[in-house]
Amino acid sequence: MRGIININPEIRDAILESGGDDAIKCYSCGRCMAACPWNLIDDLDYTTYRFCQRIKLGAIVDSEAKEDIAADTDEVFRCIGCDSCRHECPRGVNLSDVLRAVRRILVDYDSYPAELKGVISRLYSSGNPLGESSAKRADWAKDLGIPHFDGTQEFVYFPCCLPAYDARLKLVAEATASLLTKAGISFGIIGEEEFCCGEAVRRVGAEKVFQSAVNNNTRVFQKFNVKNVITTSPHCFKTFQTDYPAFSDIQIMHVVQVLHQCLADGKLKPERPFKKKVVYHDPCTLGRQMGIYDQPRELLQSIPELNLVEVPVFNREFSVCCGAGAMGLWRDWPQDQRLVKIRTEQIFATGADVLCVACPYCLQMFEENFKSMNVDIEVMDISEILFSSLGQ
Amino acid sequence: MDIIACIKRVPQTAEADVKIDSSGKDIVKDRLQFDMNESDTYALEEAILLKEKFSGSLTVISVGTFDAEDTLRIALAKGADNAIRIKAEDFGELDGYKTAQLLKAVIKDLKHDAIFTGCIATDDYYSQVGVTLAELLGMPHASLVTKIEIDGNTVHAYRELEGGLLEHLAMSLPALFTIQTGINEPRYASLIAIRRAAKKEIKVIGKEEINAEDIVSFSSLEKLFTPPVGERAEILSGTLDEIGTRVQGIVKEKGLL
Ligand code: SF4
Ligand code: SF4
Repeated sequence: MRGIININPEIRDAILESGGDDAIKCYSCGRCMAACPWNLIDDLDYTTYRFCQRIKLGAIVDSEAKEDIAADTDEVFRCIGCDSCRHECPRGVNLSDVLRAVRRILVDYDSYPAELKGVISRLYSSGNPLGESSAKRADWAKDLGIPHFDGTQEFVYFPCCLPAYDARLKLVAEATASLLTKAGISFGIIGEEEFCCGEAVRRVGAEKVFQSAVNNNTRVFQKFNVKNVITTSPHCFKTFQTDYPAFSDIQIMHVVQVLHQCLADGKLKPERPFKKKVVYHDPCTLGRQMGIYDQPRELLQSIPELNLVEVPVFNREFSVCCGAGAMGLWRDWPQDQRLVKIRTEQIFATGADVLCVACPYCLQMFEENFKSMNVDIEVMDISEILFSSLGQ
Repeated sequence: MDIIACIKRVPQTAEADVKIDSSGKDIVKDRLQFDMNESDTYALEEAILLKEKFSGSLTVISVGTFDAEDTLRIALAKGADNAIRIKAEDFGELDGYKTAQLLKAVIKDLKHDAIFTGCIATDDYYSQVGVTLAELLGMPHASLVTKIEIDGNTVHAYRELEGGLLEHLAMSLPALFTIQTGINEPRYASLIAIRRAAKKEIKVIGKEEINAEDIVSFSSLEKLFTPPVGERAEILSGTLDEIGTRVQGIVKEKGLL
């Protein structure tokens, strides 16, 4: 229990100035706390409804005692930006943006979780969170005969960093590119000159690093006069649309939108049966944040003999985050405080053979966790399932 | 107790793609993040803990260019009372010896019961500044310290030696300690302290105050280069699977398992 607090208008103003002005709308109703997935974890109280009040009073991360500062800072960096709270908030408060404003100040003063430092530094120096060489960014496409985008193709396919480098996720990029080719979509890739979209780095408050990503991608997209982009990751999809001012006249599409259109136009015909029970996990960014719920389900339902099931209650806008957002993929939370475990239990209870995702972060998070929890469910990206159902 | 902590701003190179620049004497830094040198963050924390226990003042000093003031401000936000930047741009190429002389020129006129530095800087890995500074000031010192306890006028400093041995030194103050990473848990800054630090004045000392002619280098940097592949080294290339299979083969061939 904290004692009587001192109001600090200077802290309040600094947070509002760095983008936290949504805090003003909050009236502490507490609906966000009920919606926040962290509170599904036993013995964890993430008192989200207090953040905005404390910000308005300038009474956040304001103690001078080391332990209190550490506890407060951990709270500020716990939010993974799933937007469950925003969906429930009667005042439409964007809590993750409010917390991002606090983070921006702390990050500038080297006061953020140590495990994020390496990722941010890798992203800044090599253009991807894995620290891989940009010269290898197009290697996944080497044997697929995909052209470098030169303006003669209609679309740029932007695979996201994980599918460009990670051995497992490369299969997703390959399946997607193969589907697009089969559907007769004209596309190329940018490869070496691409930079991470920077969505996650922005969420943790490393704004300067994010701006360097924006500058790099803007320069490259303008150089090639890109007009249409297809992304595999909902995170690139959203960030390019909302956080890249120079992209306002570029059409950004998530791959499920493109594939759904191809299905409607008869350019893709899933013929081969997929005789499995499949549960679809709505990624926070594609679902709650971008409102795409039906297209992935309709794509799956178009596949013969695929038995699509839902996680009861916690589906669509009530989907529970896998925990990978806002660099959660790289966080070291204790084993008993991991959102992915909660979601895994919900998915396991459906009795599904396959978990279908439409986000590279979700795929990596679930696959790693299924292994460590010995859960015998296969994790597949929607493009992989669809590709396996195409006739010859 | 009056305490001094010496800190350095360094590029984060551990996980970065490091390239040598066209001068051949430096690395390309425009895509690198800069931070307080890692062991300096522990030295600073040790100094703050001591100040909290015995009260007194903590001054942080950095030899660096203008950007080093960001790092000094971080130290102010975490608990230092005063900050001094020695203008690196006034003194040309620096080696550890020259840096130590610059620090000595400033510290000799400041009250100090204890001085803390990191044990090594992750940019040049010289590991010279702390110990040279102690010698220049004629102070007792302990390097690579992993634990400090103060009992009256005696400081007990523990150092890690090879083979899991610990060395215990009993010293009197004033003394200098070069601090090993892991000795404590460096703190975060609070927003109150960040606001305070943002407004604090950083004292800047340059060639007007320190006579550059008296400060000389011991070594100079000729050239930076990546080590040539030795005759007995073999660089494996290919996919992860191919490399793994090859490593397995080599281990078997050499009878290592
Ligand atoms: S739901 Fe909205 S208004 Fe209610 S406490 Fe949370 S942020 Fe405030
Ligand atoms: S965005 Fe998600 S994790 Fe963050 S506070 Fe809201 S519900 Fe909780």
